[in-house]
Amino acid sequence: MKLNTLFRSLVYTVIPLFSFSCASDLDFEQVNTIKLEPVVVTSLAFFDVKETQFVVNGADRNIIFDASTIQIFDDSFFRQRLQKVELFYELENTINRAFSLNVLFLDKDNQPVHTINLAIPSYAGVENRNAKTDIFESARLDLLKRTTKITFTIVMLPGRTLTGSSVGSLKMRSGVTAYLVIE
Amino acid sequence: MKKIVLVFTLFLALNCFSQNKQVLYNFTSVPQSLLTNPGSDFKYEWYFGVPLLSGISVNVGSTGFSAYDLFANNGVDFNVKLRNAVFSTTRKDHLAINQQLEIFNGGFKIANGDHDTYVSFGMYQEFDVLSYVPKDLAVLALDGNRDYLGKIFNLGDLNVKAEMLSVFHLGFHKNINTKFIFGARAKIYSSIFNASSTNNSGYIYTIPSNTGIYEQEIYSQLKLNTSGVASYNNENGEIDLAKDITNRAFLAGNLGLGFDAGFTYYPKKNIQLTASIIDVGFIKHSKDVESYSLKGLYNYSGVVPSFSSGQSVNNIYKEFQEAIPLDTLYSKYTTWRPAKFNSSIQFSFDEERPEDCDCLNQNAETIFRSAIGAQLFIMTTSRTPLVAFTTYYRRKVFKSLDVKATYTLDSYSFKNIGLGLSTNFGPVNFYVLADNLLEYRDVTKANNLSFQLGLNVIFKNNKK
Repeated sequence: MKLNTLFRSLVYTVIPLFSFSCASDLDFEQVNTIKLEPVVVTSLAFFDVKETQFVVNGADRNIIFDASTIQIFDDSFFRQRLQKVELFYELENTINRAFSLNVLFLDKDNQPVHTINLAIPSYAGVENRNAKTDIFESARLDLLKRTTKITFTIVMLPGRTLTGSSVGSLKMRSGVTAYLVIE
Repeated sequence: MKKIVLVFTLFLALNCFSQNKQVLYNFTSVPQSLLTNPGSDFKYEWYFGVPLLSGISVNVGSTGFSAYDLFANNGVDFNVKLRNAVFSTTRKDHLAINQQLEIFNGGFKIANGDHDTYVSFGMYQEFDVLSYVPKDLAVLALDGNRDYLGKIFNLGDLNVKAEMLSVFHLGFHKNINTKFIFGARAKIYSSIFNASSTNNSGYIYTIPSNTGIYEQEIYSQLKLNTSGVASYNNENGEIDLAKDITNRAFLAGNLGLGFDAGFTYYPKKNIQLTASIIDVGFIKHSKDVESYSLKGLYNYSGVVPSFSSGQSVNNIYKEFQEAIPLDTLYSKYTTWRPAKFNSSIQFSFDEERPEDCDCLNQNAETIFRSAIGAQLFIMTTSRTPLVAFTTYYRRKVFKSLDVKATYTLDSYSFKNIGLGLSTNFGPVNFYVLADNLLEYRDVTKANNLSFQLGLNVIFKNNKK
């Protein structure tokens, strides 16, 4: 075997192979511009209060109250990356009385940071719903993030005395839509 | 750094093993072919690989997307490219990296007339990554759950394995008779580090609810095993990585055992059949072990004010942490090496003319100048095995130059053309093997590339 021939044959095969090779310009620094924007939905609270709960010893109970400790903003990862929050509430009333719902968001010192009010007329045999969406961004959102407790107060408005024998109820459901930005 | 970790979690939560060496397999003019079939028909008096230069191989494969798809410097927002990459993949797509470096390698013949026995031994270092695309988790991270009500996100999509180890091996092959050669190799694995999260299951879903707005459930059976990593989490400790790696490479790591076996058979002078099974073995991880698990079930549909006590307590975050706690464990675990099966059939033709005949060292490999053949490769993974089918043409161009050209069909590509060159200048053997040659037009767009080269010194006895 002539070394020359061998060398030439190697040159003729290997060099063209790799000389045709090229690489597009890549920029791995782009990773630093990563921005994830997931939109997460979850329930906030719900209740279904029967008409009987508004009747105590045969008389109307006009106000019922609950203070729920609700620590959804406890997780700092979640809290720091929240960009926008939508709170959605829906009331459905099948009791023959009008109601008003007050939802109060309190911080750790029991100071109110946000309040909403939702009223619903008495039931008249047709679908009876009322919904509301609250949007929180920037300063309002910062305030909302301080929430550690939410109080729900249902006020029964004046009307026909309840007997407690009807199957009607006052239902509430609420949800959160959280817009996160992870960079 | 955090961002890099994030991207790593999205994609490189990888499990990588693409170890098909279709160009090297049965390319018997290269001693390293013994590592793909210990029963290769490779004859020598003695040989050794030039330390650190005898075998350098890198193999990178990605079935879903290429480096160009993600990192092209083309003015397109990285986040758009990321979305396109994620949504064009499935949970079956994977990314595999395999790198091997021979530290030393050698062999000699124990003469025994017609039943020559050949011994080969050596040590190599190997780095493996195999990660499936965690599709559902990536979609959840990119989009959240709002637009996916009713969809069950599969936590089992997370399937990643990364390992660095060194392998000490000792093998032999023997001509049982003129038609049949059998070989086997014993291996000791010394794991430098290992991280594997391959047996995950669970789900996350959000569905519309009749009572609250949504009902959500997370069922998680996630576990990550690590060995050789935990000691670096201790910030106080002095870290001497190079020393640690060297120590662990030389049998101070987590140890394991394995074997290879294979044969070559000539039913006729010009027909050759081969098969091998490589890396049937395990590693027992007991040193520097740390595992993390997230196991449990959590169902949530909202806070329910009771209105009776007036004081409902619903600490969602705490409830979740209690339902699916993050536990750190220190128990031993065992990993299996990805076993590889190779087989081939070869028809030889174009017999050498008498004047060129290497009559003193006759065998089917040296008296035919050309051969065509087909190979099948199967490798086990934590999911479905990887399969590749190769056809090839092999030619002895000159007495000192062997060429093998391959065409391979596998999950990465349908147009994988490979080429191997092996030259012998006296006793010095130099070889270069590469596949996916068409992809060299732009390597960044390649889904799979492998490259191997090395330098050996081989002495063959021509005066039998």
